[in-house]
Amino acid sequence: MILDVLQGIPEALPKNPIARWESVFPVVESLHICGFTLLVGAVLILDFRMLGIFLRRQPVSQLAKDLSRWILAGLAIQLITGPYLFSGDPREYLQVTAFRMKMVFFALALIYHFTVIHKAAAPAADDAPLGWRRPAALLSLGLWLCVVVSGLWIGNL
Amino acid sequence: MSPLRFCEWLSQTAFSTWLREAPYPFPVLLMIHVVTIALFGSMVVMGNLRVLGWAMRSVPVSEVIVQFRPWKWTAFVLLFVTGILIAASDPMEYYGNIMFWISNAVLVLAGINALIFYRGAYRTVASWDQADATPDGATRWAQISLILWILLIFAGRAIAFF
Repeated sequence: MILDVLQGIPEALPKNPIARWESVFPVVESLHICGFTLLVGAVLILDFRMLGIFLRRQPVSQLAKDLSRWILAGLAIQLITGPYLFSGDPREYLQVTAFRMKMVFFALALIYHFTVIHKAAAPAADDAPLGWRRPAALLSLGLWLCVVVSGLWIGNL
Repeated sequence: MSPLRFCEWLSQTAFSTWLREAPYPFPVLLMIHVVTIALFGSMVVMGNLRVLGWAMRSVPVSEVIVQFRPWKWTAFVLLFVTGILIAASDPMEYYGNIMFWISNAVLVLAGINALIFYRGAYRTVASWDQADATPDGATRWAQISLILWILLIFAGRAIAFF
């Protein structure tokens, strides 16, 4: 059902600029990289803090609060530019393994961020040692790395 | 030897041919390059946003800058080395690519911009470290820096398009 709708995008949007003009794709993709820098960048800084790598004098919850709006802003850019890039050639993307993997990793990374990392950055945990939050942050980094690498691989196949 | 002759010579070396034709070197280099952009870009962007007073206001400016510094440098060295190797994989292609030269020019401008910031406005950081509002002299460089890095993303991506 969803797949049918996605595959029908080219017929539903016959004048879609990204499918019509070759120059639209790199521009939208560049915006996608900007959004990615914001989203993954802010996540990475929070993960590094939870690993105890830097900003150690800063309470984790305070930093998480400061960064959350940038994470949401980056996410918003990605949720607009990503589907739009996809709309240019949905049938092709759906067949590419790297694309499917990216979507799975992206979903996992997001769920993980808004559950486990969210809990790890709660004010109640601030005074406790980092403990379990270190491996939790490492897993977050790993998941986002998988999103980035599989995303890159889409263009390589 | 002229730059063009150097590129011709380089592209015929066994090393350049290997980078270009073997299945793994290029995607691996590109992968490291882009993953490092995430590391480097995050520190640069969030550092700039802090100077502008838009992000992480609870952390003093100097602390953000000092704590990010070793990571920025590590990422920059990685970016530089992988960037040179990527260029060496097909020197003739990059030599004739206008976007490659524009990207490099923007990179140099970003470097000069950072240097001006650290030599100038940043020296008085002690007086505005905790403040929400940063002096105009410092915000200007942070704004220019953000614009240059965004330009670099666009120009860098366009290398493959031209």
